Amino acid sequence: MTGPETTTGPGRRPAAPPGPWALLSGAVKGVAKKYSQDRSVALPVAQGRAVVLAVADGHGSAAHFRSDLGAYWAVEEFTACAAAFAREAARVGADAAGWPALREEARRLPQRVAHLWHERAVYHDTNSPAHGVRAQPAADRTGRVDRPDVPDLAAYGSTLIGAVLTEHTLFCWQLGDGDIVLVDGGGIPHTPLSSGPDMGDETDSLCEPEPWRKMRAHWQPFTGGAPPCVLLSTDGLSKSFADHQGFLDFATGLGERAAGQGVAAVQSQLPDWLARAAKYSGDDTTLVGAIAVPEQTQ
Amino acid sequence: MASRPVHFIWMLDCSGSMGVNGKIGELNFAIREAIPEMQQAAQSNPAASLLVRAITFASGASWHVGEPTPVDRFSWEDVHIYGGTDMGAAFKLAAGALQTPPMPQRALPPVLALASDGQPTDDWRAGLRAIDGTPWGKRAVRVAVAIGDDADKSMLKEFLGNPELEPLQAKNPRQLAAAIRWMSTAVVKDASTPKVDDGAKPATPLDVPSMTKGEDDIW
Repeated sequence: MTGPETTTGPGRRPAAPPGPWALLSGAVKGVAKKYSQDRSVALPVAQGRAVVLAVADGHGSAAHFRSDLGAYWAVEEFTACAAAFAREAARVGADAAGWPALREEARRLPQRVAHLWHERAVYHDTNSPAHGVRAQPAADRTGRVDRPDVPDLAAYGSTLIGAVLTEHTLFCWQLGDGDIVLVDGGGIPHTPLSSGPDMGDETDSLCEPEPWRKMRAHWQPFTGGAPPCVLLSTDGLSKSFADHQGFLDFATGLGERAAGQGVAAVQSQLPDWLARAAKYSGDDTTLVGAIAVPEQTQ
Repeated sequence: MASRPVHFIWMLDCSGSMGVNGKIGELNFAIREAIPEMQQAAQSNPAASLLVRAITFASGASWHVGEPTPVDRFSWEDVHIYGGTDMGAAFKLAAGALQTPPMPQRALPPVLALASDGQPTDDWRAGLRAIDGTPWGKRAVRVAVAIGDDADKSMLKEFLGNPELEPLQAKNPRQLAAAIRWMSTAVVKDASTPKVDDGAKPATPLDVPSMTKGEDDIW
């Protein structure tokens, strides 16, 4: 049995943005798994005036044997959509007159991401059917097919959590399990998209019909400045703690360490922390985050 | 940090008919023999903590092992026959344990393992509804073994709650031992592996053991 290993996957390594945030990224594969089905991104946008964060958790069980691809596409398509959105959010900045249009765009984003993900999954499945070549549906004498051959995309199933952060606003979206935590200036953790404790390992998924309808969304303007710490993680992290408070304490502690020891120190320790968590949850464990950098150090 | 619990509940038929041709003795033997392998299966996944309990049912139902016991400390005290086949009462006992609380929300799906050789003599459907009405009951991994030809296989299939699954059939001691061993190991491994249940049925049900052929059926 192999232990957890640090994995980078196709997710981009966090760059050091010239803006007000330093980015964190870490991932380990679950104990005894051949490879991780998690994917992530932490990306500075608009010369560092905005950040795009995303994690996706491919379901990983036998019924979802291509979910690593599903997670990869989820992050890639979200990033493509969110990067454009982030540039606009950075341009609007503190101009509240521009926020309604941003919110409207934020409402449309889940459907666009889900549609792009669905297109890629269908394209892939058409070229390489997950369940073998399907029989062609019967056509009548005019050549009309009664039932279109709709592929089952369960093999590609994945969750998705994404966020766009600027100095003035936060937009975030979540489909399925996993966590987004904001740690405010007072060290208080907030989970704006929490839907309560999960039972077992059930989750909503991009492979369901019209998944955007189940995508939760949140936005908030920052009147007192951006939160010093925004973290996104797959459920492998929170499920490794004996209770939810333990997970929140971890998030708060990570923010405090980043403030006290610097983000580079936290980044270097992150793989070990995640590996320890993966031993308890048994699952792939991935975390990305944006940590506010004090102005004098920028 | 802590691993997540997997609650495993045996539900064992101790009706009078289990005394015929030594069925109850073979059941006790099979469970006792399966414990080391169950412990090995649990050890293979350190991310899950296997906790075992047992219910017996005959005239009424009661907890034979009421405390969720870590599998590495689990030992088997023989069960004995005592009357009818009040399976519904056993289901209601299990349903009480599947509520949250007492069962934590942070857990892996529990396992309900049922062994019976006859027809229920009480309102088993009411008991099954009670299980289905609990948050963990709906999500439980369910397995069943029909001991002998008189077991109500259609009822056991309904308990399984998945048209793709069939109850195991044990017609002699060797088959019963194989079924109990499979319930104690393969099912535990499956239940304690983090996975997603997005409402879709699994592509392939658990590999069920091939029961030994060419032996005399004595039950």
